[in-house]
Amino acid sequence: MIEFLPKKLDWVDVNYWFYIFNELSLIYLIIPFFVLELIRYAYLKRLNKDLILDSIANIITFGGFFLIEIVLGLLTITKVYFWIYNNFSLPHLELNWITVIACILLADFAYYWEHRMMHRIAIGWATHTVHHSSPHFNMSVAYRFGPLDAIMPILFSLPIVMLGFDPILVLLSEVFVQVFQTLLHTEIIGKLTKPVEYIFNTPSHHRVHHGSNRQYWDKNYAGILIIWDRMLGTFEPEVEKVRYGISEPLKSNNPIKVFFHGISRLIGKLKKVNGFKNKLLVFIKPPDWIPTNNTSNLTGK
Amino acid sequence: MKNATIVFRSLAIIIFISGVAHLISYMTPKDDLKYGYEESIDSYENQKDSKNKNLEKRANYNPETDYLEGSWRISYYSEDFKGTVVYNIKKEGKRFNAYSYQYEDENGYTEQAENSKVLTIKSFDGYKGEGVYTVQYEQQEYQIECQIDMVDENTFKLSYNHYGYSDVETWKRQ
Repeated sequence: MIEFLPKKLDWVDVNYWFYIFNELSLIYLIIPFFVLELIRYAYLKRLNKDLILDSIANIITFGGFFLIEIVLGLLTITKVYFWIYNNFSLPHLELNWITVIACILLADFAYYWEHRMMHRIAIGWATHTVHHSSPHFNMSVAYRFGPLDAIMPILFSLPIVMLGFDPILVLLSEVFVQVFQTLLHTEIIGKLTKPVEYIFNTPSHHRVHHGSNRQYWDKNYAGILIIWDRMLGTFEPEVEKVRYGISEPLKSNNPIKVFFHGISRLIGKLKKVNGFKNKLLVFIKPPDWIPTNNTSNLTGK
Repeated sequence: MKNATIVFRSLAIIIFISGVAHLISYMTPKDDLKYGYEESIDSYENQKDSKNKNLEKRANYNPETDYLEGSWRISYYSEDFKGTVVYNIKKEGKRFNAYSYQYEDENGYTEQAENSKVLTIKSFDGYKGEGVYTVQYEQQEYQIECQIDMVDENTFKLSYNHYGYSDVETWKRQ
């Protein structure tokens, strides 16, 4: 039954399957689901100007992110990834279903760590806070990205290339994890059955991740599998009703403000911190870190 | 949770997943990546003459599409290779397959190619076609989708686009 798993695959077939999941899902899954969410908002009398403008801002931030991603992606994939792959990699793995599944699992694990770092390192949070700054939670929020959101994934997926996985397969797997993640941004789906909730990241787990309730901060970083959070001590179940957004709300739907507010807040914090060493530490310490000798009133998350 | 525990568990996850992939890849008998075809070709000129005769004799010969069979020459000007490559296109079943036959560098030195399959044309109506082309990029081999557009009966354009890596090749009848 599983003899097909180690059988060599053609790139055309692998591309075909990823094309169906990664690219076509926008048409057959994500857009219809967003329309359903809008109908639900209307039914609950929550469809207002703020929600519409917020959704538009989300899509515009995605445009900005996508432009940066295209440039970075093409440069890294075509140059850095292949250079690493050809010079600093374990023996190259041939293309089969085992390799594809292993690559998706590793891309998912890399996603867990890059996501965790985006929350726990101030420069990461400066860009990722954009994604968390919406007071709403729907499919469009999944497309709300910050300007540097593409950098961390590149750094964290390089080790996968060094393990012998083809750079293009790594890229396709990363997009696959991202598409799965997109589907979790909804309030329509409640809790799923226990085995699913135990193994997989679900809308319930991801609502927790977007919560500004104190107990929900920095929890549930997972992409596809929530077991990474369970194994590494960052899991939190959805108990209290989730309040979406960040502790210091943005209160704007201006796409430019939304896109750059994390960076401008980081620059503001840098100006308030005394000493060169402290200014450097502001970048790599957690977002809520305040130098002990600093009397200024600094806020983090 | 202690940092040491987090690091240990993370390493264990990475080693386990990549280890399984490498172990299975190591244990699986390797498929031959090259689709060599067994017919030996004594000389290029002999082959060209006999091919034309055979084509005419064949009962299922379709003149509207099967004129694609034969020898085709492509010039390359990449960093890896500057010169021309001769490919033989053969009809096998309902598909056309192109096999590498001869390399010729920019100084005119020729070398016999390894007869590996580089192109499969899955559909061809006499004017346009679609298939799978094997390209080498950064020392890796990829099979990607490509389009065939006939310019005239002695020239066709082969185009492809693979994650931003795109090109159009001009194949000329030898």
